[in-house]
Amino acid sequence: MTGTDQSSFLGRISIRRNQVNAMEGYHEQEIEDLELFQKQLSDRFAELLSAPDDAPTEAFLSISWIRKLLDVFLCCETECKAILLMERDAAQISKPPLDRLIPELLERVVKAMDICNAVTNGVELVRHCQKLAEIAVSALEQKPLGEGQARRAKKALVSLMSAMHVDDKESSVQKTAERSWSFGRRSGNKDRHHGHYRSLSWQVAKHWSASKQIHAMTMNLAAPRGPEASCLPAPVYILSLIIVFVMWVLIAAIPCQERSGLTTHLPINKHVNWTHSLAGIHDKIGEEWKKKEKKGMAGLLYEMQKMEKLGQSLIEFTDSYQFPGEKEKLDEVAAQVAELAEICRRMDEGLVPLQMLIREAFHRLVRNRTEFLDVLEQGAPVV
Amino acid sequence: MDECQSAIPAHDGDLHVVAAAHHIVKALGTTKNLSDDLRKILIDLDAHLSLITSNIDCKGGKGFVEVEERLKRVERKIVIWESDRIMIWDSGPKEASDYLEAVDEVQTLIDSLRGLSMNENQKQKELLHRASSLLQMAMSRLEEELIHMLVKHKQQSEPTYIPSPSSQRNVVYNESVVSLDNESAKEASSKNSCSDECGEYIVDLVPEHVIPDIKSIAKVMFASDYGQEFCEAFIGVRKEALEQHFDILENGKLSIEDVLKMEWCSLSTEMNKWTWSMKIIFCVYLMSEKRLCDQVLGEFGSVNSFCFLEIAKTTILCLLNFGEAIAMGPQEPEKLLRLLDMYETLADLVIDIDALFSEDGGSFVRLEFHKLLEGLADSVKAAFNAFGVAVSSNGSLYPFPGGGVHPLSKYVMNYISMFPEYCSTLNLLLEDQHSDVASLVSEPQCGPTASLSTSCPMACHLRSITSSLESNLHKKSKLYKDEALQHIFLMNNLHYMVQKVKGSELRPFFGDEWIRKHNAKFQQHEMNYERVTWSSVVLLLKDDNPGSSSLSKSAFKEKCKGFSVAFEEVYKNQTSWCIPDPQLREDLRISTSLKVVHAYRTFLGRNPAHVDDKCIKHTVEDVEKLLLDLFEGSPRSLRNSRRMMKT
Repeated sequence: MTGTDQSSFLGRISIRRNQVNAMEGYHEQEIEDLELFQKQLSDRFAELLSAPDDAPTEAFLSISWIRKLLDVFLCCETECKAILLMERDAAQISKPPLDRLIPELLERVVKAMDICNAVTNGVELVRHCQKLAEIAVSALEQKPLGEGQARRAKKALVSLMSAMHVDDKESSVQKTAERSWSFGRRSGNKDRHHGHYRSLSWQVAKHWSASKQIHAMTMNLAAPRGPEASCLPAPVYILSLIIVFVMWVLIAAIPCQERSGLTTHLPINKHVNWTHSLAGIHDKIGEEWKKKEKKGMAGLLYEMQKMEKLGQSLIEFTDSYQFPGEKEKLDEVAAQVAELAEICRRMDEGLVPLQMLIREAFHRLVRNRTEFLDVLEQGAPVV
Repeated sequence: MDECQSAIPAHDGDLHVVAAAHHIVKALGTTKNLSDDLRKILIDLDAHLSLITSNIDCKGGKGFVEVEERLKRVERKIVIWESDRIMIWDSGPKEASDYLEAVDEVQTLIDSLRGLSMNENQKQKELLHRASSLLQMAMSRLEEELIHMLVKHKQQSEPTYIPSPSSQRNVVYNESVVSLDNESAKEASSKNSCSDECGEYIVDLVPEHVIPDIKSIAKVMFASDYGQEFCEAFIGVRKEALEQHFDILENGKLSIEDVLKMEWCSLSTEMNKWTWSMKIIFCVYLMSEKRLCDQVLGEFGSVNSFCFLEIAKTTILCLLNFGEAIAMGPQEPEKLLRLLDMYETLADLVIDIDALFSEDGGSFVRLEFHKLLEGLADSVKAAFNAFGVAVSSNGSLYPFPGGGVHPLSKYVMNYISMFPEYCSTLNLLLEDQHSDVASLVSEPQCGPTASLSTSCPMACHLRSITSSLESNLHKKSKLYKDEALQHIFLMNNLHYMVQKVKGSELRPFFGDEWIRKHNAKFQQHEMNYERVTWSSVVLLLKDDNPGSSSLSKSAFKEKCKGFSVAFEEVYKNQTSWCIPDPQLREDLRISTSLKVVHAYRTFLGRNPAHVDDKCIKHTVEDVEKLLLDLFEGSPRSLRNSRRMMKT
């Protein structure tokens, strides 16, 4: 979806509303707008679903894929709001059932803001992993590879693994981390790699739980039926569903506070055309999550999963490495190191923009809420 | 060390030259008073020359004997610590510098070995490998020493020289118009602010004597290409230390949802804490952290700002999010002062924030705080407007008993008497709404006395608020059925407003003209009261036939009775009325007394023949005394008091 597509869509609604407002046939035009919007949604999610599972770029759940998802989210949000508010009399918004649906939507919006913040902190953990992987890469790229460098790589990789496998819940127990700092290594355990341990300060609030937030957001989230399905409750539902869905994907992909039980069923109405691809993405991620959940992991982000696999394999290698090593093995490792280096490069390029995009989504949610509140409170139409 | 390669002599004849040079270098190395840099150069040169020698030697079959010897020596120095339970830097400066020297030596050996061409020389490869492993061992150790050192010397002391939050304004304003007496208002207005100079609170986050040690580790780790490890370890410990300081400031981590749902009392406390934490975190901790980063990492370029940002980021995001949550919340009038505190704090800090995060990587932080500042500015305006709306729309169903000073007047006047402290901020923020309001309340500027302070945006807004208050009070006065009580009520409240303006910082913003006008207003109500209450009563005593000398007995009796009935009625009513200000009460009694007692005395004096106990219920002295019971706010009936007087 390019910018021009979107502006033409918005222009269309605006012109239409100006011309047809308060005339007969208004409702038909609205239905047409809604259908066009759903068609576009369907296309966009289909494109996201069609991303390859494993590819050097743009893989499913990769950083660039998530950035695309957020772009789609930002577009949908703008358009949905246009359908709901543009050139519309506020009285329509404050009538039942919207007087109930809009406040419910706004509660979801607030929860989504907290999730955005939690995930922003989660990206920090991913960046920490990237830094550790970079150390391993620079050590293993040395030629010839000495045992010293192999040990250096191993140390970084072991820290990487422990950073990745920190239980969500451990984040709330900062004291443990502190204690491990203040022991000198001389007090015993030689294998402790506390050098790379990073306190997990991603906490949103005490007892805050990402999965509970998602669960709460899905309450009362039901597809409108009958005549409601073609008028204002429909875009409210679409916007709500997309917010919940995008937040759910972010939590599944990126480290976040308390995610147990994330497989909560999202109430996606599969009888509507536009949700096919959305449901497809949901199922795919849900299955992946079930497979990985027990192990305790940093998230389904493609790059992180890849990094984990490579990291484990390279740890095995460094464990038994003896200088000067066999050529065949070294070549194999060199390929893995190159792959890890490529992932680091993509993280280096993508993580900061991803963080900015999440922040933008956050600000958008804030603005969105203010606009809806204005309409609700002042009863004035938003232009 | 590419130059070394070209320096390798072509044939044995040069060996003598090399040997001579080596000799000189060694001799120079023993000289005392050499600068560190020069000594390092000599050591490097020494290593190269010995390598060249051994390289030439090996052609003769002697191998890298000397290099190996040196490697063995440093190996012993480094490996010995591996089995030791004590940290090197804890053992003493000698041990530390010996260790660093050994690491330097390993690095020199590695550089030199690399510098030589690898002519399929197995021995050379093996030595290089051994040296690299040794280096890894040392680096790993240095990283641990660094962490140990940073953790051990983490300063935990709280800064005590910035006024603590308990001395800040903690008065809680509730929508339920709490009455505040002067004292609590005064106490509450002792606003404190962090000094304008943020930098003056810099502290040593790590004791000064430890800095050179950290720096020496940084130097050697960066030189050996272990800079990344250094940064990760450094960031890890410092970040955690900052978060601990943040925790000590008792910022309960709150989600946006929590903040939006919070009760006003707790929210007010949290807003106060935020204001306080912002100052402490930026003025003390981040400023100091920046200095620490500069001291340790100053010479390593962009690594410095990268590490600083990594250390600061999560704490900053926490502060930012609370600010965002406040800026998006509903802006109720009671939030105004807290919002002003938050706005002013951030407005003071943005320059420092811009300076702390001046590099590209920090642009996000700068941008977010500028956005937040705008958001808070909008919130202040919204809360200010909400305050105005609340003042004019505060409604009541029942008249305020006794006609005293209404809680709304107290609330509004006490609240706005805090505004002058925020004068410059309010002037800035209210500027754009200025013209609308100025036209509404232009009165004081018309006169020749109009000065800068009475015409600034804040002054106009203040007068607009008090004029809303006045019209609201007029509305409220209509709830009284008794017209005289309406006047008492307005007199009391207008008098209160004038007193508040005269006795506070508000005076220059209202101006003498306003005070004169409002004095006249309440005096008018005072006069109106007297007219409405007493004119008819006094009229009863009036001489119907000014020509004749005295009244008939029955006419006199009639007039006396009429007067006492009317007086008793007033007495019964107005003893329950209230004039809280003693001076105002006294004034009104005197002028009433003058009017009523004088008329009564004259009336009695004109008819001396009829004056006896039977027809006169109240003597002049009685009336004088009874008038003192009015406006005390405790209802009395004259029947009772009469009886009491008789017994």
